[in-house]
Amino acid sequence: MTAPAGPRDGVEITVGYRGLGGMPDRLEARAVEPAEGDAPPWDANTPLRQVGGDHDRVDGLAKASGRAKYTSDVNLPGLLQAAILRAPIARGKLVQLELDAARAMPGIAAVVALKNVGSRVRFVGDAIAAVAGADLHRVRDALAAIRADYEVEPHNVDWLRGEDAPLLDADGEIAEPWPEAVALEGALALAATTHGATYRTEVQTHSSLEPHGATARWQGEDLEVWSSTQATFGVRGELAQALKGRGLRVGAVTVHAEYVGGGFGSKFGAGVEGLACCLLAHAAKAPVKLMLDRFEEHTTAGNRPAALLQLRGGLDAEGRLIAWDVRSYGGCGFNVERGDGGGNVAVPDYYTRAAKTRRKHTDLPADTDPARAMRAPGHPQGWFGAELFLDELAHKAGIDPLELRLRNDSQTMRQDQWRFGAERFGWAAARARPNAPDARFRRGVGLASARWSQLGSAGRPPHGVQCRIHRDGSVEVRSGAQDIGTGLKTVLALIAAEELGIDPKLVQAFTGHTGDPSGPGSGGSTTTPSLSPAVRHAAFLARQQLAGFVATHLGADAAEIDCRDGTVGTRTQRLAWAEACKLIGPNPIDVRGQRFPNYGGKPFSASVCGCQFAEVEVDTWTGQVRVLRMLAVQDCGLVIAKKLAESQVLGAMLQGISFALHEQRIMDRQSGRMLNGDFLRYKILGSADVPELDCVLMTVHNGHSSTPAAGLGEPPAVAAPAAVATAVFHALGEPVRHLPITPDKVLAALARRA
Amino acid sequence: MTVPPDPRAGVSRRSFLKGSAVAGLASTGLTAAATAADGPTTFGPGAHDIVLTVNGAERKVAVETRTTLLDALRDGLDLTGAKRICDRGACGGCTVLLDGQPVNSCLVLAIDAIGRPVQTVESLAQGDLPHPLLEAFVHCDALQCGYCTPGMVMSSLACLQQRGRPTREQMQHDLAGNLCRCGTYGRVFAAIERTAQAGGK
Repeated sequence: MTAPAGPRDGVEITVGYRGLGGMPDRLEARAVEPAEGDAPPWDANTPLRQVGGDHDRVDGLAKASGRAKYTSDVNLPGLLQAAILRAPIARGKLVQLELDAARAMPGIAAVVALKNVGSRVRFVGDAIAAVAGADLHRVRDALAAIRADYEVEPHNVDWLRGEDAPLLDADGEIAEPWPEAVALEGALALAATTHGATYRTEVQTHSSLEPHGATARWQGEDLEVWSSTQATFGVRGELAQALKGRGLRVGAVTVHAEYVGGGFGSKFGAGVEGLACCLLAHAAKAPVKLMLDRFEEHTTAGNRPAALLQLRGGLDAEGRLIAWDVRSYGGCGFNVERGDGGGNVAVPDYYTRAAKTRRKHTDLPADTDPARAMRAPGHPQGWFGAELFLDELAHKAGIDPLELRLRNDSQTMRQDQWRFGAERFGWAAARARPNAPDARFRRGVGLASARWSQLGSAGRPPHGVQCRIHRDGSVEVRSGAQDIGTGLKTVLALIAAEELGIDPKLVQAFTGHTGDPSGPGSGGSTTTPSLSPAVRHAAFLARQQLAGFVATHLGADAAEIDCRDGTVGTRTQRLAWAEACKLIGPNPIDVRGQRFPNYGGKPFSASVCGCQFAEVEVDTWTGQVRVLRMLAVQDCGLVIAKKLAESQVLGAMLQGISFALHEQRIMDRQSGRMLNGDFLRYKILGSADVPELDCVLMTVHNGHSSTPAAGLGEPPAVAAPAAVATAVFHALGEPVRHLPITPDKVLAALARRA
Repeated sequence: MTVPPDPRAGVSRRSFLKGSAVAGLASTGLTAAATAADGPTTFGPGAHDIVLTVNGAERKVAVETRTTLLDALRDGLDLTGAKRICDRGACGGCTVLLDGQPVNSCLVLAIDAIGRPVQTVESLAQGDLPHPLLEAFVHCDALQCGYCTPGMVMSSLACLQQRGRPTREQMQHDLAGNLCRCGTYGRVFAAIERTAQAGGK
């Protein structure tokens, strides 16, 4: 940790990674050009004491003890409760809306229309009006008293029944010819082994446990909002825009999201619920809380869209992919043009470098709640189809699935991960172990790759972090971005502590308040890589100021002062941290660090790599699938908070199992309504379903920035469903190509095999 | 919060109370309900103050007959550790101990908790030192977004109190009613194990 880099000074750093478990190191020197004034880069040779250690989550006790106040927990004097009237029809027009009866009811403080008469209704659950009152009982009574009439039109809630949907045969295979493609068909004709099949996944709801919603309070012209969101600044701008007719400007809006009960991609906006809450609080002249109930969560607050993929491809005699043809469809809900995550389906591109390829995707609308981004949008669906397809192709060619990956995967880092993971998992032995032909329980093992291609906001816009050092020795770091459970507060605290050479317990981290420097929305696994260099820069600037005080005190040159092990000083004269901080005046050292653009040039890696292995046991009598154990090998850039990073990977594996085996939205074609919009009939994975999980993090110095962290929201979520599905294929000897792999589908597969 | 009387309540509430198993109500913490001449205490219409025994203290709170224990705790007493996630007894986020047993407080009427000890997650951090189970949750990182965590903690506490050193299967059974979307289950088991090994309950 030396003086800041000068303008366009080239700095040589060591990038890459150390080999896991006896694998070779992949380290190399790179010249990078840090921006003027930025903190010098931490690279593979920098000794770090706090970062990467086994620290506790800094807000763990606040959360576990119930002390943490989420949006839903905010109680204000005179607080009113509120709820939304939802359309009972899937398609049509609102032709009458009578609110006066509701307004006149006892205990009701405000009623607002959310749709004008004449507006279109686009799905069951479309917001019509909202009511605020003394308590939710009275509010619900008032909702029932609102008269809303509709002009009903025929609807279609089944995305595969629309006019553009492909025709499926009785086995669920797309029964339409592929459009002509001369080069690709030439490659297929040359292939030693070819295969083609259709794969399908169902709608998964985000099911964040804290519902969407807000608490809002107006004070004169100012609006203060607590929002359960993964984008504090996004919500602020959205509300200011929506309410500008009331003279509201962005600067008068404060958004809090100090604690957020999950988001997973569904909470980027204030939503109609947030806006309704503000309108009601304005009309009632009192603070209002409006949180969705669980049915609204399942039916109006976003989902991972259903997907359909058809693949065909071929291997040459050496097991190399030489042809790869993919067409996919995604159910995006009613908003086919706008797309909010859309029906996008992504497939891996690193197996097919030697292949003739073609890729086509079509979004298919239906009269349902629009899709939203959900943890690695499009990826778990597409990877499930692609990886299971590869296993079927390997099976036909008589090649081990791992061997097929090793022959085709063009990413060196994942090649290392495959080899390390296979060894640790005991792949070869588990794969070779036969199931007795008449055994009730059959076991199988599978694997799948992962890739995520975003590594932070890259410094545009230049998000910031505030750092203050107080004369009592305490340190404060602040970001207006939100910690939705991913551990941002802990990440900020550990990096500041590392830079300042102090115990992380001296650092308090604050997140989720728009009064603090702007940060990104928590999407695309970008929060940690965006803000790690920013907090590092803030602490770096603060340290320089402290060094100035200490240099004056010691009569030394400020350039000779460093901070380490809780002391500050020169090589020969050192002050304890607390003593050094006493030199600070009544005003704290108060600086703002920024996220500079990524280093130019070619980084060591531009994406995040991983792979996962799974072992399952299938009960051939009941069709029940149980995952017994899983392993994730995961690149995550510079590991900041080890325990928290592991938690995120482990959780993504469980969400993936849940998607692979349990979750599906079931719509009633007649009424257009979701039939299982609760937690009794929409099953998410529970404690009884948890297998043995193993997770190996791989620190990779990607050479992007001074503090080269990667995010872990999406990367570990990509592979898990595919790993489970390929293991089920191994256990049964027959693929189940339609998630979730429920008992009926397993029994049908067994019947096909017999 | 003052609420106007509910015009539809009254007769049915009285007959409900007469016919229900709320024995001993008259001797409990009802402070504002009228006492009918013909026998049991009537309750309603509208809100009344009752006294709940929460974390060892007597707490006065205004409820209606239809108010759940969860809403009384959260909205009436500002004890917001217990969360309202599904409001149907399907997720365990509102778990508290009633008479020492874990219950979904969204499925218990506040008036049914009169005279019975209620223990919420807040009780575990009241003293100088947090309860060892909380420390184990933090140490094992048995939480991410933290929204299910207070419910998980209370179910874990009941599991420890009832079983001492639970097996993995017993933990999976006892926590089967608690959902977590972040996927913290494995680390919750580790936290219970750690607490049991240290002898903390």
